[in-house]
Amino acid sequence: MSSRRTETGGGRIDRSRPVRFTFDGVSYSGYAGDTLASALLANGVSLFGRSFKYHRPRGVLSAGVDEPNALVTILRGEVRNPNIPATMVEIHDGLVAESQNRFPSLAWDVGAVNQLVGKLLSAGFYYKTFMGPVVGPLRGTRFWMFCEHFIRRAAGLGRAGRMPDTARYEHVNAFCDVLVVGSGPAGLSAAKAAASQGGRVILADLDARLGGSANWSDETIDGVPAAEWAAAQVKDLKSRGNVRLLPRTNVWGYYDGNTMVAVERVSEHKERPNKGEPRHRQWKIRAGTVVLATGALERPLVFPGNDRPGVMLADAARRYANEFGVLPGEKIAVFTNNDSAYGAALALKKAGAAVVAIVDVRPDVSPEMRDLAGETEAELLAGHAVTATEGGKALSGIKVQRFDMQGGSLSGAERILAVDCLLVSGGWSPVIHLASQAGAKAEWNDSLQAFLPPKPAQKWVGAGAFNGSFSTAAAIVEGHAAGIAASGGTAAPLEPPSVEATPCRPEPAPVLEIGASGKSFVDYQHDVTAEDVRLAHREGFVSVEHLKRYTTLGMATDQGKTSNVPGLAIMAAALGKPIPEVGTTRFRPPYAGVSIGSIAGSRYGDLKPERLTPMHDWHVAQGATMQPAGLWWRPQIYGHPGETVEQAYVRETKATRGAAGIVDVSTLGKIAVQGPDSAEFLDRIYTNTFSTLPVGKARYGLMLREDGIAFDDGTTWRLGEQDFLMTTTTANAGKVLQHLEYYLDVVWPELKVTVTSVTDQWAGAAIGGPRAREILAACVTGTAVDNAALPFMGIVHGEIAGVPVMICRLSFSGEMAFEVYCGADWGTHVWEALMEAGKPFGLVPYGLEALGAMRIEKGHVTGAEIDGRTTACDLHLDWMLSKKKPFVGSAMMNREGLTAPDRLQLVGLVSLDNRPLNGGAHIVEQVDDKNPRNSLGHVTAVCYSPSLGKYIGLALVMGGKSRHGTRAFVSDPLRGRFGPVEIVSHHFFDPEGSRMHG
Amino acid sequence: MASTRKAGQSAGVSAVARLSALAPVYRPGSHGNFEHGIGVALSEVVPTSIVQLAAWSGKEKKLIGIIGSVMGLALPDATGGGAVEGARAAFGVAPGKFLVSDDRDDLASIFAEAMEPDTGTVTDLSHGRTVIRIEGPEVEWIMAKFFALDFSLPAFPVGAGRSTAHHDIFAQIQRTAAEQFDIYVFRSFARSFWTALCRSCEEVGYEVQ
Repeated sequence: MSSRRTETGGGRIDRSRPVRFTFDGVSYSGYAGDTLASALLANGVSLFGRSFKYHRPRGVLSAGVDEPNALVTILRGEVRNPNIPATMVEIHDGLVAESQNRFPSLAWDVGAVNQLVGKLLSAGFYYKTFMGPVVGPLRGTRFWMFCEHFIRRAAGLGRAGRMPDTARYEHVNAFCDVLVVGSGPAGLSAAKAAASQGGRVILADLDARLGGSANWSDETIDGVPAAEWAAAQVKDLKSRGNVRLLPRTNVWGYYDGNTMVAVERVSEHKERPNKGEPRHRQWKIRAGTVVLATGALERPLVFPGNDRPGVMLADAARRYANEFGVLPGEKIAVFTNNDSAYGAALALKKAGAAVVAIVDVRPDVSPEMRDLAGETEAELLAGHAVTATEGGKALSGIKVQRFDMQGGSLSGAERILAVDCLLVSGGWSPVIHLASQAGAKAEWNDSLQAFLPPKPAQKWVGAGAFNGSFSTAAAIVEGHAAGIAASGGTAAPLEPPSVEATPCRPEPAPVLEIGASGKSFVDYQHDVTAEDVRLAHREGFVSVEHLKRYTTLGMATDQGKTSNVPGLAIMAAALGKPIPEVGTTRFRPPYAGVSIGSIAGSRYGDLKPERLTPMHDWHVAQGATMQPAGLWWRPQIYGHPGETVEQAYVRETKATRGAAGIVDVSTLGKIAVQGPDSAEFLDRIYTNTFSTLPVGKARYGLMLREDGIAFDDGTTWRLGEQDFLMTTTTANAGKVLQHLEYYLDVVWPELKVTVTSVTDQWAGAAIGGPRAREILAACVTGTAVDNAALPFMGIVHGEIAGVPVMICRLSFSGEMAFEVYCGADWGTHVWEALMEAGKPFGLVPYGLEALGAMRIEKGHVTGAEIDGRTTACDLHLDWMLSKKKPFVGSAMMNREGLTAPDRLQLVGLVSLDNRPLNGGAHIVEQVDDKNPRNSLGHVTAVCYSPSLGKYIGLALVMGGKSRHGTRAFVSDPLRGRFGPVEIVSHHFFDPEGSRMHG
Repeated sequence: MASTRKAGQSAGVSAVARLSALAPVYRPGSHGNFEHGIGVALSEVVPTSIVQLAAWSGKEKKLIGIIGSVMGLALPDATGGGAVEGARAAFGVAPGKFLVSDDRDDLASIFAEAMEPDTGTVTDLSHGRTVIRIEGPEVEWIMAKFFALDFSLPAFPVGAGRSTAHHDIFAQIQRTAAEQFDIYVFRSFARSFWTALCRSCEEVGYEVQ
């Protein structure tokens, strides 16, 4: 491989800083500032990848984000980042890149056999081959299932890795008066003008080096080289305190309210990120006004063999020569339908390449272009077209023929020109993607042969090539006007700067395809040919939306940046309609590829925060097995060495029922309900009455949804005349607070009530068991805790170990139990004091498993039974439905469907085969494991009951109480568990409540 | 050890030391990319009292007056308005709702005595919220990583407050100096929030004080 690096030039690279990297295991060197594409081209590499379907060899077509061919995978250790355009990868020491979609190697790829069966792989291949019913051994969907593995191996892009991505990602929010997207002459001018008005300005550009086309255009602006002019503008902007510059930033989404989303490539151009530095940073920018100075992308021409490595967009070649000091070829030809490629040819000539010929489809080339052709010493072949390319994995020659632009016909003898690089230009497409996302429908401009942005649907202003204004002077003037307008200013228009540039009229000839035989690619990345587009038309596809989906044109990772307009032109020609009548599709985010990591941002690990109780560290220190309960982490068991979960909770349950147990209940939702109308409010919210509750007492309450379905339950404590502490289930705390806020804000705004989450204010410990009162008596001061002072549902205030506590006597376990609340910061202190006081009485801590076992033994309901489908009657809580007052849900709870006799109702289950039951299992009258059916209901909660010595459960079963004493079966085909059960009352243990009240 | 209970929802006072939710993860010293300087400093502010005050509709001005007399702070009558003076801070967190904090014991009871029930309600949150202070030259940058708010000084002046959320974590924020914010988060979320905050600060170098 020969070096294609020029002796001089290349404003972006630093020749004093060589960089070593590898591509497909081969070591190469480049310079700091090189992209992977420029560095490989400089090393004489022309083959970059294999195409999607046909595995055709592909080189580099462009020099930017529009690159469809040269997609690579970047490896960092074992982490793979596939499908990155080599044109957007900045090399650094140690960079490891590999090519894609080839086996065993890029040069010798067995998948290339697909080129021999190309006709079979035409548009609609999948629909024609694999759709249909599963009949016969190899038809329709079954055939797909047979072929899928092989097709997935043979077709596609890069391979995603299996190792976790260790890179860091993050989000950041920004607010500005003006966001300028694009830092070419128009963008720089806009940013400077906007900044001069004093507002906050953000200037973002995809590239590492701001300045856009000024960096490689060969022009001078106000007497200095354009690149120097751009550098001076950037320096000026950097010096301003109200400007933020965002190079390496892909502004990829335009959303409502001028919310823009952008990904900044923060550190992947470095061998190693700084400490704490993310790979990518996702910006959410709220901009007052957006200036779209996104420029334009050059289009290729469609002709046979146009995908051969060595065929390159003309301006890309100019960029490689001028910005990177790289010649993409030594003997080049140019094939164009417009003037701009002549300037590129001249740039390549100046950089040292021999320009063999300029092939122009236009018969009448302007005198200025003829002069430019003369300067390049190239043969000018006006009224000609390239009809084929020659070579294998690199271009060796092109075929040229006389071409009639009006009729599209070829004539005369075919000439073969020996070249190693063909520069093509099919005109320019303004980058209107963001404007399209913002809601504007693109408008076709016939003279420019391009879609232009229409009037803005959101607050944006366009400038420069985005508007179809392709001269640098116009871009600077428009940019200035856009910057002023975006800032709401009224400065005078800018005098056009003095720009020296090669002459260039922007209007291309309306020719995008040369109709010769051979594969002519429209969408390089998805291997869609001109013939595929015509085939779609012949098969009846008329709408451009259908065409897109049938052929997959424009649906690859490059989103058709180079293929949309040529594809439409071919479709329009086939339909015999002008392009505007065919229309174009709406661009969607993202403009260019966005890493999934940057969307996740800093959310990593479990992707959710952990919610910890005040005693969390104590539980962990005691060896508790912690388990998540929503966002909370709660002790499951405090297991002893060698214990199973069941053994642990059985031990904890027995200890609690035998002496005393303590459980952390800080997670219960707690809502302060305050104000003169609090009691009235609670009467309306709860099914039962709270206005009669005396101060210093608590009451169990049930609330329904408006539709009459049970919603949540818990106790509410009256701490003062106008002061209640409502407790909710752990899971529903947020929902209940929202429910209360909704009724106060919307339905009863006249009530003077405030509701505040105080869940985190209080640490809660429930201590229960026959010795619980003695333990409290041993450590509580300032109040008595005997039955007189603290009756069932009574509340007292006192102290434990110097800390104020609030104690309520209530029970979930069925034992005589007390909930002790204190300020959360004292939670561990009080907990430890209770443990210490409980030592002589055999107090043990218990976790969720034991809590669950004891509540099942008591038949108390939780979220498993209050599941959004059950009513108070279903759960035997109808005694709580006040008949003296209306409440939320009372108007709807007696609807026919909610009182039907066949509703599922709460029952208890006892396993008759002495085996554990499964939650979620069905209840049936007859077991048929081959054909499970006729479910009577389902199991909601299960445990081994230490008190009964049996496996028991709760269930919702049709008929409910009427089935008490009958036999049924659990049917759990998923887990293969079938067996007999007895349906019993859900009150398994101490149904009279003597232990609780005693 | 004396304890008092005046406000119904107050946790009361005690001489027993309060345990921070951040204790196991609070590591004083310099962290992250600090070799190039400290971008922000993090600390936990432990006001003795944090109280939420809510005014009934039409009583907002009266409540602002009461806050002024109890706290010695002149609050602007504007959404999210607030004021700060040393350890005393007050700011609006919702229409008619304010968060006040101070080093005085049982501020809830002081307000309960100062406020008639027809003005509004007093809710003690002294244990329920953890206050994290972030200060330094990079403070707006770090805050922007967490919250979709405009933290520039003109948009978010000293003393002002905002209610917002970081992912699942509700947060109330007051700017307590030009380069300083106090973030009030639920105690149970504090450790998660602190861990995420520290991680985001690594880039600019940070110090835990």
